Amino acid sequence: MRATTTTVLESSPLTVRELARAVGAEDQWVLRLVEVEILHVDTPSEPPERWHFRSADLQRALAARRLERDFGANLDTAALVLDLQAELRRLRALLGAHGLA
Amino acid sequence: MDFKDYYSALGVARDASDDDIRKAYRKLARKYHPDVSKEADADAKMRDINEARDVLQDKEKRAAYDQLADHVARGGSPDGGFRQPPPGWDEGFEFHRGPGQGPADHADFSDFFSSIFGSRGGMGGSTQRGPYRERGEDHHAAIEISLEDALHGAERQLSLRAQEIDANGRPHLVNRTLDVKIPAGVRPGQYIRLAGQGLPGHGGEPAGDLYLEVRIAPHKLYRIEGHDLYMTLPVTPTEAALGAQVTVPTPAGGHVDVTIPKGARNGMKLRIKERGLPGKTPGHLYLLLEIALPPANSEAARAAYEQLAKAAPFNPRQHLGA
Repeated sequence: MRATTTTVLESSPLTVRELARAVGAEDQWVLRLVEVEILHVDTPSEPPERWHFRSADLQRALAARRLERDFGANLDTAALVLDLQAELRRLRALLGAHGLA
Repeated sequence: MDFKDYYSALGVARDASDDDIRKAYRKLARKYHPDVSKEADADAKMRDINEARDVLQDKEKRAAYDQLADHVARGGSPDGGFRQPPPGWDEGFEFHRGPGQGPADHADFSDFFSSIFGSRGGMGGSTQRGPYRERGEDHHAAIEISLEDALHGAERQLSLRAQEIDANGRPHLVNRTLDVKIPAGVRPGQYIRLAGQGLPGHGGEPAGDLYLEVRIAPHKLYRIEGHDLYMTLPVTPTEAALGAQVTVPTPAGGHVDVTIPKGARNGMKLRIKERGLPGKTPGHLYLLLEIALPPANSEAARAAYEQLAKAAPFNPRQHLGA
Protein backbone atom coordinates (compact mmCIF):
# COMPACT_ATOMS: atom_id res chain seq x y z
CA MET A 1 0.00 0.00 0.00
CA ARG A 2 1.35 3.43 -0.84
CA ALA A 3 0.78 6.64 1.02
CA THR A 4 -0.91 9.16 -1.19
CA THR A 5 -1.10 12.32 0.87
CA THR A 6 1.72 13.43 3.12
CA THR A 7 1.46 16.70 5.00
CA VAL A 8 3.35 18.27 7.85
CA LEU A 9 1.15 19.87 10.48
CA GLU A 10 3.13 23.11 10.21
CA SER A 11 1.81 23.63 6.68
CA SER A 12 -1.61 21.94 7.15
CA PRO A 13 -2.69 22.54 10.75
CA LEU A 14 -5.42 20.54 12.47
CA THR A 15 -8.91 21.68 13.38
CA VAL A 16 -10.40 21.08 16.84
CA ARG A 17 -12.19 17.99 15.48
CA GLU A 18 -9.04 16.59 13.87
CA LEU A 19 -6.92 17.16 16.97
CA ALA A 20 -9.58 15.49 19.13
CA ARG A 21 -9.62 12.47 16.81
CA ALA A 22 -5.83 12.29 16.75
CA VAL A 23 -5.72 11.88 20.54
CA GLY A 24 -8.86 9.73 20.82
CA ALA A 25 -10.88 12.40 22.65
CA GLU A 26 -14.02 14.48 22.26
CA ASP A 27 -14.00 18.02 20.83
CA GLN A 28 -14.99 19.33 24.24
CA TRP A 29 -11.78 17.95 25.74
CA VAL A 30 -9.71 20.01 23.29
CA LEU A 31 -11.67 23.14 24.26
CA ARG A 32 -10.83 22.41 27.92
CA LEU A 33 -7.11 22.23 26.99
CA VAL A 34 -7.38 25.73 25.54
CA GLU A 35 -9.26 26.92 28.62
CA VAL A 36 -6.53 25.69 31.01
CA GLU A 37 -3.84 27.01 28.60
CA ILE A 38 -2.28 23.65 27.79
CA LEU A 39 -2.94 24.73 24.21
CA HIS A 40 -2.68 28.27 22.95
CA VAL A 41 -4.58 29.49 19.92
CA ASP A 42 -3.51 32.41 17.76
CA THR A 43 -7.06 33.72 17.47
CA PRO A 44 -8.88 33.01 20.76
CA SER A 45 -11.61 35.52 19.92
CA GLU A 46 -12.54 33.53 16.80
CA PRO A 47 -15.03 30.63 17.18
CA PRO A 48 -13.38 27.21 17.83
CA GLU A 49 -14.27 26.08 14.29
CA ARG A 50 -11.56 28.47 13.07
CA TRP A 51 -8.83 27.44 15.51
CA HIS A 52 -5.74 25.68 14.21
CA PHE A 53 -3.22 23.39 15.88
CA ARG A 54 0.29 22.36 14.87
CA SER A 55 2.85 19.69 15.87
CA ALA A 56 3.70 21.18 19.27
CA ASP A 57 -0.02 21.29 20.12
CA LEU A 58 -0.51 17.64 19.17
CA GLN A 59 2.53 16.73 21.27
CA ARG A 60 1.14 18.60 24.32
CA ALA A 61 -2.36 17.18 23.85
CA LEU A 62 -0.98 13.62 23.73
CA ALA A 63 1.14 14.29 26.83
CA ALA A 64 -1.89 15.73 28.69
CA ARG A 65 -3.93 12.66 27.72
CA ARG A 66 -1.24 10.37 29.17
CA LEU A 67 -0.99 12.36 32.42
CA GLU A 68 -4.75 12.17 32.81
CA ARG A 69 -4.82 8.44 32.15
CA ASP A 70 -1.59 7.33 33.86
CA PHE A 71 -1.73 9.46 36.99
CA GLY A 72 -5.36 10.50 37.20
CA ALA A 73 -4.17 14.13 36.86
CA ASN A 74 -6.81 16.77 36.32
CA LEU A 75 -6.14 19.19 33.48
CA ASP A 76 -4.95 22.03 35.74
CA THR A 77 -2.33 19.71 37.25
CA ALA A 78 -1.43 18.42 33.78
CA ALA A 79 -0.92 22.03 32.63
CA LEU A 80 1.52 22.65 35.49
CA VAL A 81 3.43 19.39 34.82
CA LEU A 82 3.72 20.21 31.12
CA ASP A 83 5.01 23.70 31.87
CA LEU A 84 7.60 22.26 34.27
CA GLN A 85 8.63 19.66 31.68
CA ALA A 86 9.06 22.40 29.07
CA GLU A 87 11.18 24.42 31.50
CA LEU A 88 13.30 21.34 32.29
CA ARG A 89 13.93 20.75 28.59
CA ARG A 90 14.78 24.42 28.02
CA LEU A 91 17.34 24.35 30.84
CA ARG A 92 18.83 21.08 29.59
CA ALA A 93 19.15 22.58 26.10
CA LEU A 94 20.90 25.58 27.65
CA LEU A 95 23.36 23.26 29.40
CA GLY A 96 23.90 21.44 26.10
CA ALA A 97 24.57 24.74 24.34
CA HIS A 98 27.38 25.37 26.83
CA GLY A 99 28.76 21.88 26.39
CA LEU A 100 27.62 20.86 29.90
CA ALA A 101 24.90 18.32 29.07
CA MET B 1 8.63 -14.72 21.38
CA ASP B 2 8.82 -14.73 25.18
CA PHE B 3 5.73 -15.01 27.30
CA LYS B 4 5.46 -11.75 29.24
CA ASP B 5 4.65 -11.85 32.94
CA TYR B 6 2.68 -8.65 33.37
CA TYR B 7 2.25 -9.19 37.12
CA SER B 8 5.99 -9.27 37.77
CA ALA B 9 6.50 -6.30 35.41
CA LEU B 10 4.40 -4.26 37.85
CA GLY B 11 5.65 -6.14 40.92
CA VAL B 12 2.15 -7.17 42.02
CA ALA B 13 0.60 -10.50 43.01
CA ARG B 14 -1.73 -12.43 40.74
CA ASP B 15 -4.68 -11.48 42.97
CA ALA B 16 -3.78 -7.78 43.08
CA SER B 17 -6.74 -5.42 43.23
CA ASP B 18 -7.31 -2.67 40.69
CA ASP B 19 -6.11 -0.21 43.30
CA ASP B 20 -2.88 -2.21 43.90
CA ILE B 21 -2.23 -2.23 40.16
CA ARG B 22 -2.89 1.50 39.83
CA LYS B 23 -0.55 2.31 42.75
CA ALA B 24 2.21 0.01 41.47
CA TYR B 25 1.93 1.48 37.99
CA ARG B 26 2.11 5.09 39.19
CA LYS B 27 5.15 4.37 41.35
CA LEU B 28 7.03 2.71 38.49
CA ALA B 29 5.89 5.30 35.93
CA ARG B 30 7.43 8.03 38.09
CA LYS B 31 10.63 6.00 38.48
CA TYR B 32 11.06 5.36 34.75
CA HIS B 33 9.60 8.56 33.32
CA PRO B 34 12.02 9.59 30.53
CA ASP B 35 12.30 13.16 31.84
CA VAL B 36 13.46 12.19 35.31
CA SER B 37 14.87 8.67 35.15
CA LYS B 38 18.63 8.09 35.27
CA GLU B 39 18.19 4.40 34.39
CA ALA B 40 19.80 3.38 31.10
CA ASP B 41 16.84 1.24 30.03
CA ALA B 42 14.11 3.63 31.22
CA ASP B 43 12.36 3.75 27.83
CA ALA B 44 12.12 -0.05 27.60
CA LYS B 45 10.95 -0.31 31.21
CA MET B 46 8.31 2.37 30.61
CA ARG B 47 7.01 0.44 27.58
CA ASP B 48 6.82 -2.77 29.63
CA ILE B 49 4.90 -1.21 32.50
CA ASN B 50 2.54 0.64 30.13
CA GLU B 51 1.80 -2.64 28.40
CA ALA B 52 1.29 -4.51 31.68
CA ARG B 53 -1.01 -1.78 33.02
CA ASP B 54 -3.03 -1.75 29.80
CA VAL B 55 -3.81 -5.44 30.18
CA LEU B 56 -4.18 -5.75 33.95
CA GLN B 57 -6.39 -2.70 34.42
CA ASP B 58 -8.90 -3.94 31.86
CA LYS B 59 -11.13 -6.64 33.38
CA GLU B 60 -11.74 -8.50 30.13
CA LYS B 61 -8.14 -8.39 28.93
CA ARG B 62 -6.88 -9.43 32.36
CA ALA B 63 -9.24 -12.42 32.52
CA ALA B 64 -8.18 -13.53 29.05
CA TYR B 65 -4.50 -13.03 29.90
CA ASP B 66 -4.89 -15.05 33.13
CA GLN B 67 -6.47 -17.88 31.17
CA LEU B 68 -3.60 -17.81 28.69
CA ALA B 69 -1.03 -17.67 31.51
CA ASP B 70 -2.63 -20.76 33.08
CA HIS B 71 -2.44 -22.56 29.76
CA VAL B 72 1.25 -21.72 29.36
CA ALA B 73 1.96 -22.71 32.99
CA ARG B 74 0.33 -26.10 32.40
CA GLY B 75 2.50 -27.00 29.48
CA GLY B 76 3.48 -24.18 27.16
CA SER B 77 5.54 -24.95 24.11
CA PRO B 78 8.33 -27.57 24.16
CA ASP B 79 11.17 -25.03 24.24
CA GLY B 80 9.60 -23.10 27.07
CA GLY B 81 9.02 -20.11 24.82
CA PHE B 82 5.73 -18.64 23.75
CA ARG B 83 4.70 -18.75 20.12
CA GLN B 84 1.05 -18.03 19.61
CA PRO B 85 -2.02 -18.16 21.81
CA PRO B 86 -3.82 -21.52 21.39
CA PRO B 87 -6.90 -21.53 19.14
CA GLY B 88 -10.04 -20.45 20.95
CA TRP B 89 -8.10 -19.10 23.95
CA ASP B 90 -10.15 -15.90 23.86
CA GLU B 91 -13.54 -17.56 23.55
CA GLY B 92 -16.10 -15.77 25.65
CA PHE B 93 -14.07 -12.59 25.99
CA GLU B 94 -14.71 -9.30 24.31
CA PHE B 95 -12.28 -6.45 24.64
CA HIS B 96 -13.21 -2.81 24.50
CA ARG B 97 -11.11 0.29 24.62
CA GLY B 98 -11.55 1.95 27.96
CA PRO B 99 -12.24 5.65 28.39
CA GLY B 100 -9.20 7.87 28.16
CA GLN B 101 -7.15 5.49 26.06
CA GLY B 102 -5.72 7.36 23.13
CA PRO B 103 -5.05 5.67 19.82
CA ALA B 104 -1.31 6.15 20.30
CA ASP B 105 -1.22 3.86 23.28
CA HIS B 106 -0.39 0.61 21.60
CA ALA B 107 2.01 1.78 18.94
CA ASP B 108 5.09 0.67 20.86
CA PHE B 109 3.76 -2.46 22.49
CA SER B 110 5.51 -5.81 22.16
CA ASP B 111 4.96 -8.60 19.66
CA PHE B 112 3.57 -10.63 22.53
CA PHE B 113 0.89 -8.01 23.23
CA SER B 114 0.04 -7.65 19.54
CA SER B 115 -0.26 -11.42 19.10
CA ILE B 116 -2.92 -11.49 21.80
CA PHE B 117 -4.76 -8.22 21.62
CA GLY B 118 -3.97 -6.87 18.16
CA SER B 119 -2.11 -3.65 17.44
CA ARG B 120 -4.85 -1.48 18.96
CA GLY B 121 -5.37 -3.70 21.96
CA GLY B 122 -8.90 -4.74 21.07
CA MET B 123 -10.52 -7.75 19.45
CA GLY B 124 -14.07 -6.53 19.48
CA GLY B 125 -14.89 -8.44 16.31
CA SER B 126 -15.49 -11.60 18.31
CA THR B 127 -18.98 -10.41 19.18
CA GLN B 128 -20.66 -8.18 16.64
CA ARG B 129 -23.10 -5.63 18.00
CA GLY B 130 -24.85 -5.24 14.68
CA PRO B 131 -24.03 -3.00 11.75
CA TYR B 132 -22.61 0.40 12.62
CA ARG B 133 -20.82 3.21 10.89
CA GLU B 134 -17.68 4.73 12.30
CA ARG B 135 -14.66 6.47 10.88
CA GLY B 136 -11.43 4.53 11.54
CA GLU B 137 -9.26 5.63 14.43
CA ASP B 138 -6.16 7.70 13.89
CA HIS B 139 -2.93 5.88 14.56
CA HIS B 140 0.50 7.07 15.71
CA ALA B 141 4.05 5.92 15.03
CA ALA B 142 7.50 7.49 14.89
CA ILE B 143 9.96 7.74 12.03
CA GLU B 144 13.69 8.28 12.52
CA ILE B 145 15.48 10.05 9.70
CA SER B 146 18.99 11.39 9.16
CA LEU B 147 19.80 15.07 9.50
CA GLU B 148 20.58 15.11 5.77
CA ASP B 149 17.06 13.80 4.99
CA ALA B 150 15.57 16.49 7.24
CA LEU B 151 17.56 19.20 5.46
CA HIS B 152 17.07 18.08 1.88
CA GLY B 153 13.85 16.05 2.02
CA ALA B 154 13.66 12.39 1.03
CA GLU B 155 11.37 9.48 0.36
CA ARG B 156 11.58 6.65 2.88
CA GLN B 157 9.90 3.28 3.18
CA LEU B 158 8.29 2.55 6.51
CA SER B 159 7.24 -0.94 7.57
CA LEU B 160 4.33 -1.07 9.96
CA ARG B 161 2.30 -3.86 11.42
CA ALA B 162 -1.34 -2.94 11.41
CA GLN B 163 -4.68 -4.45 12.18
CA GLU B 164 -7.17 -5.26 9.42
CA ILE B 165 -10.62 -6.76 9.62
CA ASP B 166 -11.13 -10.00 7.68
CA ALA B 167 -14.28 -11.18 5.86
CA ASN B 168 -15.68 -12.62 9.11
CA GLY B 169 -15.29 -9.32 10.88
CA ARG B 170 -12.33 -10.52 12.97
CA PRO B 171 -9.21 -8.42 13.25
CA HIS B 172 -5.83 -9.79 12.22
CA LEU B 173 -2.36 -8.31 11.90
CA VAL B 174 -0.80 -7.55 8.54
CA ASN B 175 2.54 -6.09 7.62
CA ARG B 176 2.43 -3.18 5.26
CA THR B 177 4.96 -0.87 3.71
CA LEU B 178 4.35 2.81 3.20
CA ASP B 179 6.28 5.24 1.08
CA VAL B 180 6.66 8.38 3.12
CA LYS B 181 7.71 11.68 1.63
CA ILE B 182 9.88 13.61 4.07
CA PRO B 183 9.52 17.31 3.25
CA ALA B 184 12.73 19.37 3.26
CA GLY B 185 13.10 21.41 6.44
CA VAL B 186 11.20 19.04 8.73
CA ARG B 187 12.24 19.33 12.38
CA PRO B 188 12.36 16.87 15.25
CA GLY B 189 9.04 16.71 17.11
CA GLN B 190 7.02 17.68 14.07
CA TYR B 191 4.28 15.35 12.87
CA ILE B 192 3.77 14.10 9.35
CA ARG B 193 0.17 13.18 8.63
CA LEU B 194 -0.67 10.40 6.18
CA ALA B 195 -4.34 10.72 5.30
CA GLY B 196 -6.31 7.47 5.26
CA GLN B 197 -3.44 5.32 6.61
CA GLY B 198 -4.85 4.83 10.11
CA LEU B 199 -7.22 2.08 11.18
CA PRO B 200 -9.95 1.04 8.71
CA GLY B 201 -13.43 2.54 9.04
CA HIS B 202 -16.64 0.59 9.57
CA GLY B 203 -19.84 0.59 7.50
CA GLY B 204 -18.28 2.39 4.57
CA GLU B 205 -16.79 5.19 6.66
CA PRO B 206 -13.25 6.35 5.77
CA ALA B 207 -10.08 5.07 7.43
CA GLY B 208 -8.35 7.17 10.07
CA ASP B 209 -5.08 8.99 9.53
CA LEU B 210 -1.57 7.98 10.51
CA TYR B 211 0.57 10.51 12.38
CA LEU B 212 4.33 10.03 12.26
CA GLU B 213 6.44 11.85 14.82
CA VAL B 214 9.74 12.88 13.28
CA ARG B 215 12.90 11.93 15.15
CA ILE B 216 16.37 12.74 13.87
CA ALA B 217 19.15 10.20 14.35
CA PRO B 218 22.31 11.36 16.14
CA HIS B 219 24.78 12.88 13.67
CA LYS B 220 28.54 12.43 13.78
CA LEU B 221 29.18 16.19 13.47
CA TYR B 222 26.08 18.11 14.48
CA ARG B 223 23.92 18.16 17.60
CA ILE B 224 20.39 19.56 17.35
CA GLU B 225 18.97 21.99 19.92
CA GLY B 226 15.57 23.25 18.79
CA HIS B 227 16.14 24.92 15.43
CA ASP B 228 19.87 25.35 16.00
CA LEU B 229 22.76 23.02 15.24
CA TYR B 230 25.94 22.75 17.29
CA MET B 231 29.32 21.52 16.10
CA THR B 232 32.62 21.22 17.93
CA LEU B 233 35.33 22.99 15.93
CA PRO B 234 38.92 22.00 16.78
CA VAL B 235 41.50 24.80 16.40
CA THR B 236 45.23 24.88 17.05
CA PRO B 237 46.73 26.98 19.88
CA THR B 238 48.28 29.21 17.20
CA GLU B 239 44.90 29.80 15.51
CA ALA B 240 43.29 30.53 18.86
CA ALA B 241 46.05 32.88 20.04
CA LEU B 242 46.67 34.80 16.84
CA GLY B 243 43.30 34.50 15.12
CA ALA B 244 42.76 32.75 11.78
CA GLN B 245 40.45 32.03 8.90
CA VAL B 246 39.38 28.37 8.83
CA THR B 247 37.08 26.47 6.51
CA VAL B 248 34.22 24.47 8.05
CA PRO B 249 31.58 22.22 6.46
CA THR B 250 27.94 23.39 6.63
CA PRO B 251 25.03 21.01 7.34
CA ALA B 252 23.38 21.69 3.98
CA GLY B 253 26.60 20.74 2.13
CA GLY B 254 29.40 23.00 0.99
CA HIS B 255 31.78 24.96 3.15
CA VAL B 256 32.06 28.38 4.70
CA ASP B 257 35.05 30.43 5.86
CA VAL B 258 34.97 31.36 9.51
CA THR B 259 37.10 33.93 11.33
CA ILE B 260 38.56 32.71 14.60
CA PRO B 261 39.08 35.86 16.68
CA LYS B 262 42.46 36.66 18.18
CA GLY B 263 42.73 35.33 21.76
CA ALA B 264 39.93 32.77 21.29
CA ARG B 265 39.33 30.50 24.29
CA ASN B 266 38.38 26.88 24.65
CA GLY B 267 34.56 26.56 24.64
CA MET B 268 34.03 29.92 22.89
CA LYS B 269 30.85 29.86 20.80
CA LEU B 270 30.76 31.30 17.28
CA ARG B 271 27.47 31.75 15.43
CA ILE B 272 26.96 31.26 11.73
CA LYS B 273 23.63 32.93 11.07
CA GLU B 274 20.76 30.92 9.55
CA ARG B 275 22.84 27.84 8.75
CA GLY B 276 20.89 25.64 11.20
CA LEU B 277 17.61 23.90 10.41
CA PRO B 278 15.71 25.69 7.64
CA GLY B 279 12.19 27.06 8.12
CA LYS B 280 10.20 30.27 8.42
CA THR B 281 12.63 31.27 11.18
CA PRO B 282 15.82 29.40 10.24
CA GLY B 283 18.04 28.15 13.04
CA HIS B 284 21.69 29.06 13.43
CA LEU B 285 24.83 26.94 13.30
CA TYR B 286 26.95 27.30 16.45
CA LEU B 287 30.61 26.32 16.53
CA LEU B 288 32.08 25.41 19.91
CA LEU B 289 35.83 25.96 19.81
CA GLU B 290 38.05 23.20 21.15
CA ILE B 291 41.76 23.87 21.30
CA ALA B 292 43.70 20.84 20.08
CA LEU B 293 47.40 20.58 20.96
CA PRO B 294 49.87 19.63 18.23
CA PRO B 295 51.64 16.42 19.36
CA ALA B 296 55.23 16.81 20.61
CA ASN B 297 56.29 13.77 18.66
CA SER B 298 59.42 15.05 16.91
CA GLU B 299 62.62 16.80 17.93
CA ALA B 300 61.52 19.96 16.09
CA ALA B 301 58.09 19.99 17.78
CA ARG B 302 59.61 19.50 21.21
CA ALA B 303 62.11 22.33 20.55
CA ALA B 304 59.26 24.60 19.42
CA TYR B 305 57.30 23.92 22.65
CA GLU B 306 60.40 24.67 24.72
CA GLN B 307 61.02 27.85 22.77
CA LEU B 308 57.39 28.91 23.34
CA ALA B 309 57.73 28.31 27.09
CA LYS B 310 60.78 30.56 27.16
CA ALA B 311 59.31 33.25 24.92
CA ALA B 312 55.91 33.43 26.63
CA PRO B 313 56.23 32.37 30.27
CA PHE B 314 52.75 31.40 31.46
CA ASN B 315 51.37 29.87 34.64
CA PRO B 316 47.85 28.51 34.00
CA ARG B 317 47.57 27.60 37.74
CA GLN B 318 48.16 31.07 39.07
CA HIS B 319 44.56 31.40 40.30
CA LEU B 320 45.12 28.25 42.40
CA GLY B 321 47.92 29.99 44.26
CA ALA B 322 50.35 27.38 42.91
